[in-house]
Amino acid sequence: MGNELATILQLFVRSLETGSVYALAALGIVIVFRTSFIMHFAQGSMGMFSTFAVTYLLTSYSLPLWASTLAGIGVAIAFGFLVDFFIVRRIKNASHVAKEIITLGLIMIFLGFAPMVFGVDPLQLPRFITSGDLTFGSVAISYNSLLNICTGIVITIVLFYVLQKTKMGLAVRTTASNESTARLMGVPTRTVTMVAWALAGVLGLLSGVMIAPTTTVTTTLMNAVQVNALFACVLGGFQTFYGPVLGAYIMGVANNFLRYYVSSVWGEQILYLLILIFLIIRPNGLIGKKLVKKV
Amino acid sequence: MNGLNNKSPSLLKEGGALALSVYKNTYLRFIAFGAVLALLPVLQSAGLMKASTLSYLGNVLIYAVVALGLNLLLGYSGLISLGTAGFMGFGSYLAAIFTENLQLSFWVALLVAVAVPTLFGVAIGFVSLRIEGIYLAIATLCVSEILLKTFEQVEEITGGMQGKKANYPVIFGSKLDRSGTYLLLVIALILTMMLTYNLVNGQMGRAMHAMRGSEVAAQAMGVNLLKYRLISFALATAYAGFAGALYVFFIKYTYPTVWNINLSLYVLAAVVIGGMRSIYGTVVGAFLVWAVPDLVLKNLPVIGKINGLPYIFNGVLIILVIMFFPEGLAGIPTRIKLFIKRIKEKNAAKGGAQSA
Repeated sequence: MGNELATILQLFVRSLETGSVYALAALGIVIVFRTSFIMHFAQGSMGMFSTFAVTYLLTSYSLPLWASTLAGIGVAIAFGFLVDFFIVRRIKNASHVAKEIITLGLIMIFLGFAPMVFGVDPLQLPRFITSGDLTFGSVAISYNSLLNICTGIVITIVLFYVLQKTKMGLAVRTTASNESTARLMGVPTRTVTMVAWALAGVLGLLSGVMIAPTTTVTTTLMNAVQVNALFACVLGGFQTFYGPVLGAYIMGVANNFLRYYVSSVWGEQILYLLILIFLIIRPNGLIGKKLVKKV
Repeated sequence: MNGLNNKSPSLLKEGGALALSVYKNTYLRFIAFGAVLALLPVLQSAGLMKASTLSYLGNVLIYAVVALGLNLLLGYSGLISLGTAGFMGFGSYLAAIFTENLQLSFWVALLVAVAVPTLFGVAIGFVSLRIEGIYLAIATLCVSEILLKTFEQVEEITGGMQGKKANYPVIFGSKLDRSGTYLLLVIALILTMMLTYNLVNGQMGRAMHAMRGSEVAAQAMGVNLLKYRLISFALATAYAGFAGALYVFFIKYTYPTVWNINLSLYVLAAVVIGGMRSIYGTVVGAFLVWAVPDLVLKNLPVIGKINGLPYIFNGVLIILVIMFFPEGLAGIPTRIKLFIKRIKEKNAAKGGAQSA
């Protein structure tokens, strides 16, 4: 019985870790979606690219991990600014689908750049805290997992504080609710969009650095994260900033428990099927509001 | 035909008349287009074209079929799907399993590869009545990911990450080779183009136009939304399943990583770049997305020499097309016509001013 409880606790901790990775990626997607009305399919690819940069600096220039992560954050911000400056602000009037195709173009660019700059060999990114476990009886939680969970939760809380309580956050929320009115009221919507893209890049990088030690750093590093983050967004609903984060943690928990208790082969499919059924019941997500269709 | 009226029909005139009638008749135009595509392997045997070029062109034909299906859905009905890759993969696995494991004939495999994804498409059609816009796109992505995970996990049947092998098809007792299968792809594409043309120029096409414009107005005019949503999704998935089967017969191999979300986005890109509601545009879009990096950009002096650069340039190209031609490449002729008309008007205005 105690063993059972220990397993559940262990699974729950792992779920929180997975959830944190998805939450950061989903937050990036929803911030871009709300401020520039683009479904950010390239979030994962841009995260992959900056994670590659971190790993490359670490292995080729033997920089310490924290320094290369800081440099990676710089890379992510720079690319966020560049993408916004050269592309996003020039396609305001394009249709929804056209904007999605633009992010596909971005995916192709980053997928092509990564092997060119960093080589084709898969790289290895170590964990921030390489060893050590926190043990409660028979439950062992690595310090690195704790760090990841804390990073996820702290960043989300800080972001929500900024969004709700600061002037910058107010500008983001105004842009999200109505872009042209916001501009008329003197909100610098261009700066808001630019910051949103840079922020999405940093969030993508952080989720990449968290997931990288569990696998190898290749161009497909973020594929699963990207898809799961998108699902987290629809699960929570695009209308709020906290919905996708909630969706991400729910997905993390459901994913780990279904795979352990139901089936390691069919667990993920069952989860996706449940999301689909949930969407049929609540078409605008968990916290979504129904939009009234006007004739 | 025209010779009856002409007392001295010259060969040139006959040829001109034939070209004109081909140009005027849509079906003949499709067939002429197919004939040009079918003649390309001759270039290869004459040594004017590399052997690998045929594979890339075959790819373009296959993806043009899928893109036509998505164009019916997105361009005509205004519904979005990101599930294309999953359904195409489903078709490819079904075709491979039915010919390789069950030793059934090409036709049976093709039928199954089209029919089973179509059933899924009908189910999504029902779902699309509840879920809309970006949520619908992600819901279809969800279906696609369920299929993808199944390809990866059910190793006894699908071969898991190693993938599944197939062979060139055997049709009417004769086994096709590579160029034979290429011809099959050409015929398949031309038939798909004709079918699409007929579908969108009939009552169904008009109903879909109405539905895209305004659902409420369409309903008021007596268009049954459920019926046409079901048909749209069924057709798009049927095309995808069909193309998946063609893929596995031509490439002779299918494995899970091909059928990911990026492929669905590529198909979407082919439709938007080529031009919504344009049949030839879709084929051109497919060419731009799947053949330009390998056939054109790799052969350019500087760009082609550095690994990865052709794909970057293709990404840039896609972004530029969207930025400067939002209506797709199919909109270019209209733009040129408008431009010429404007110049003519300007000249006419000038001439008028001078004579007055």
